[in-house]
Amino acid sequence: MLIIMALLPFLGALLPSLMIRAGRNACAIFTALPTFLALVILLILSPSVMRGEVLQAELAWLPQIGLSASFFLDGLGLLFAGMILGVGLLITLYARFYLSGEDPMGQFYTFLLLFQGAMLGIVLSDNILLLLVFWELTSLSSFLLIGYWKHLPEGRQGARMALAVTGSGGLAMIAGMLILGNIVGSYNLTDILQAGDAIRASDWYLPALILILLGAFTKSAQFPFHFWLPQAMAAPTPVSAYLHSATMVKAGVFLMARMWPVLSGTDAWFNIVTTTGLITMVLGALIALFKNDLKALLAYSTVSQLGLMTMLLGFGTQVAAVAAVFHIINHLTFKAALFMTAGIVDHETHTRDIRRLGGLRHLMPVTFVIATISALSMAGIPFLNGFLSKEMMLEEASHTGLFGSPSALPILATIGALLSVAYSFRFVVHVFLGPVRDDYPHKPHDPPFGMWAAPALLACLVVLIGVAPFLAEGIVTAAANAVTGADLHPHFKIWHGFTPALWMSVVAVVSGAILLLQYGMLDRVWEALPRPEAKTIFDHLVAAVVAGARRVTEITHNGAISRYLAIFTIASVALGWVAYSGGGLGPRTRDLLAVPLVVAVGWLMLIVATGYVVVNHHHRFRALVLIGVIGLTVSAGFVYLSAPDLALTQISVETVTIMLLLLALHFLPKVTPRESSLALRLRDGAIATVAGLGVGGLAYAFLLRDTDTISDYFIANSYEGGGGTNVVNVILVDFRGFDTYGEIIVLGIAGFLIFSLMHALLDGPAAKRLRARDYSQDRSHDRHPLMMVVVTRVLMPIAMVVGIYIFLRGHNAPGGGFVAGLVVAIALLMQYMASGFAWTQARKRIEYHTLIGMGVVIAGLTGAGAWLFGQPFLTSAYTYVHIAPVEEFELATAMLFDLGVFLTVLGAVMLMLYSLSRIARFAGETVNMEPMDYDPSEHVDDGKVKV
Amino acid sequence: MEFIAELLISLFLVVSGVFGFVGSYGLVKLKDSVQRLHAPTKATTLGVGGVLIASMLFFFLDTGHISIHEILIALFLFLTAPITANFIAKTYMVANLKQEKLPKSSSECGWSIYDKPPSSDEDS
Repeated sequence: MLIIMALLPFLGALLPSLMIRAGRNACAIFTALPTFLALVILLILSPSVMRGEVLQAELAWLPQIGLSASFFLDGLGLLFAGMILGVGLLITLYARFYLSGEDPMGQFYTFLLLFQGAMLGIVLSDNILLLLVFWELTSLSSFLLIGYWKHLPEGRQGARMALAVTGSGGLAMIAGMLILGNIVGSYNLTDILQAGDAIRASDWYLPALILILLGAFTKSAQFPFHFWLPQAMAAPTPVSAYLHSATMVKAGVFLMARMWPVLSGTDAWFNIVTTTGLITMVLGALIALFKNDLKALLAYSTVSQLGLMTMLLGFGTQVAAVAAVFHIINHLTFKAALFMTAGIVDHETHTRDIRRLGGLRHLMPVTFVIATISALSMAGIPFLNGFLSKEMMLEEASHTGLFGSPSALPILATIGALLSVAYSFRFVVHVFLGPVRDDYPHKPHDPPFGMWAAPALLACLVVLIGVAPFLAEGIVTAAANAVTGADLHPHFKIWHGFTPALWMSVVAVVSGAILLLQYGMLDRVWEALPRPEAKTIFDHLVAAVVAGARRVTEITHNGAISRYLAIFTIASVALGWVAYSGGGLGPRTRDLLAVPLVVAVGWLMLIVATGYVVVNHHHRFRALVLIGVIGLTVSAGFVYLSAPDLALTQISVETVTIMLLLLALHFLPKVTPRESSLALRLRDGAIATVAGLGVGGLAYAFLLRDTDTISDYFIANSYEGGGGTNVVNVILVDFRGFDTYGEIIVLGIAGFLIFSLMHALLDGPAAKRLRARDYSQDRSHDRHPLMMVVVTRVLMPIAMVVGIYIFLRGHNAPGGGFVAGLVVAIALLMQYMASGFAWTQARKRIEYHTLIGMGVVIAGLTGAGAWLFGQPFLTSAYTYVHIAPVEEFELATAMLFDLGVFLTVLGAVMLMLYSLSRIARFAGETVNMEPMDYDPSEHVDDGKVKV
Repeated sequence: MEFIAELLISLFLVVSGVFGFVGSYGLVKLKDSVQRLHAPTKATTLGVGGVLIASMLFFFLDTGHISIHEILIALFLFLTAPITANFIAKTYMVANLKQEKLPKSSSECGWSIYDKPPSSDEDS
């Protein structure tokens, strides 16, 4: 039930975008439906939770890292889930009437449900990792909601700021939660809640506390992170009402409440949380008073009220926690109603500027009543619910000292209350009272019932709880018990007698009213004062971060490949040096072998060729020839060291690479221009020398020492385990088959990438240069010489046989799919070179893209086939078959896998060739339809041409 | 293995070595590209051929199997070496010989390399 409830909003998020085609009403109904169902489930579950039970449900997700999709429902969760779903329903109704016909409503409701699901996930999660996932989801989905009017720059900026602030807070919280989980040894919230003492005693308590509070404070818009909330007011009002009364910003408060039994009770907690809450409360209220935008006023009042709740949680006493929980409910009711009325006023008058409003009570009586009730509740007037929790707050504040001063906190709390009275009154007086004006941007009147129904319902609740507070006792008790872990039975009374709190309240109301009377003068003073503009600071900060990031990017990857190589090389050398200086070298266990003459000659060739490439690399063609020499010498080295497999691979790779590079060089300048200064060349030379000496030294050191490698295992198990005597091939297709599978996919992607890069290239500025180049100067007219064509045709079947032979014997002798793919590719490449691309392409049956795809699919299916036999992916099987005249031979599934490798390699190589020939065609080379330039069979012997 | 067999194999190896050397020496000694074309032909035919025959003999006399890999190698060599030489010659001509210095071609299509091939009109 719990899991279904948690999933319902997410499942429901699929509906609105579909149902919008059936009309706006249907869309709203189908948004309300999952919310309503979830609410019903919650109500069914609620009696047992109210009795104090904790409901749990668990689904394993990633048990290896301690992440499971486990949910639990206790009093606090019940309260919040009820708020999220209940207000969600009201918002759905309200938004139906609020959004205009031009707004994409389906999208809005989808975002709303996603957000609702994420919030619900936070309050129901029993696993802190899962909670973090939902936490980030709320940041993301609120980003979508706040930026819903994406045509408005304020909307986009507000959304970005909200995401940046809450998202980075979320990152800090991830760190804090991981520390917490590490201390306890479990990521389960229920376990963590039991381990409060251990956590508070831990050395890591303070870092964890600060990091988690960072997450909570950013989300709940606490000072100094409060600035994102007013900016987020650019969102449509339903979003503001939902995010900033019941859900998003309460998530931080929820988290502090959830972690209260574990984290509270220390000086650090008290000092940080109380102080932050207090500052936020007073500062938020002060700014709210002077805001002329209705929603900005409400936004800062929300900031202030959240500060109040934070402060209460910071006190660390059980009574204060009860007050905090109670205020959560009360704030929800009046603030949601106020936001909705603000939205109604905006909707009707087309302005939210308080200076342009006034006298609306005659024009919008219903809205006036709702707004007045809610605002008075916010001010803390008796018989409304805001009064009750504010009294409890003042009562708690009156006997709490802060930093050694017994009177600081009560005075500041009273000032906060006073300011909140002032801005609440201002909301009513400056908007609704006063004379009716005749210059409203739009003639206002009360909205349709559907639009004021939701705030009216909330206003009723405000009065109901205010008059009969015992109605809320049940849920508050359940939630407060969940927060404190104690068994409390709070009783809410309207009349406590003449307590200090009452006097503080009276002072607040009276001076608040006086403050409003003097508003004109105060406003002038306020306007004259210098105030830091949070948005500007934030923008500068973001700009600075972006500039910093860009500088790093420019330094590290500015597009110069030589720089990448330098960074990579230096980093590798540095790491190698760290490893070397850490462990040092073991004693030498082997002697140097004598150097035979043949080896010395080979070595000399290698050195000379390499040196020549270094000196002459500006001449690309020469360098390429020399690279070919180096490749062949290396292959010979492999043969000498008994690695025929490697030699075979090396030779075929060399051949293909050189052929493709030759073709590519045709389109490039013959000489690389000298661009680097001498200093730069010296630097690069130094890096290269150090890296080369490092690698050489490493190889030298290893060759002189006996090391344990895994090769022994492979050699011992190759035949038994993989059914092949060619260890290299068995490693590739069996032991490390998964690697190979990944590699062929990469190879295929590389082929596709070259192909699509070519597309981009032929559209870009390079295309112009290509077209402008003149290739006719040094070109032979003999493009497809007769002899070459004939010989390649003759060679084709022989090369194919060699390819098949190498493929088939691969499992037991040097060869395999990779080499075979290259050999066949070379055979085909020769046809292309001899007879030209167009002629050959016309004779090709299968697209190379298809070939790559088929290769990967065949390899994948072979691997997946093992599942049918209950084996892990890529387990190979083999058997020996004996058919009469043929010798006994082996059949292995590894061969099928190898076939996949073969096809992919072939396809990738040919696709690269195809890409190159596209350039040629683009550069204006003609296309031939004949296999060769001069076909003697078409011409008679006596020199006369047949027609 | 018998002495005679070893002698035979060695003989082919020595022959191959000598021609390999001659080919390589020619590459260094001869003056220009066209002359130098002659030298590697010794190495690729007689030089490699000697090794291949020696190898076939060795496997036949040693294990009794007739090894045909060598025939394949020879086949590849005999097919590719002339083409290589042909291409080097063509390249040399493009780089060093102007068409004006050539006598007139008796063929209607003119000289390959210098004149457009007959089929090029059909190209698109």
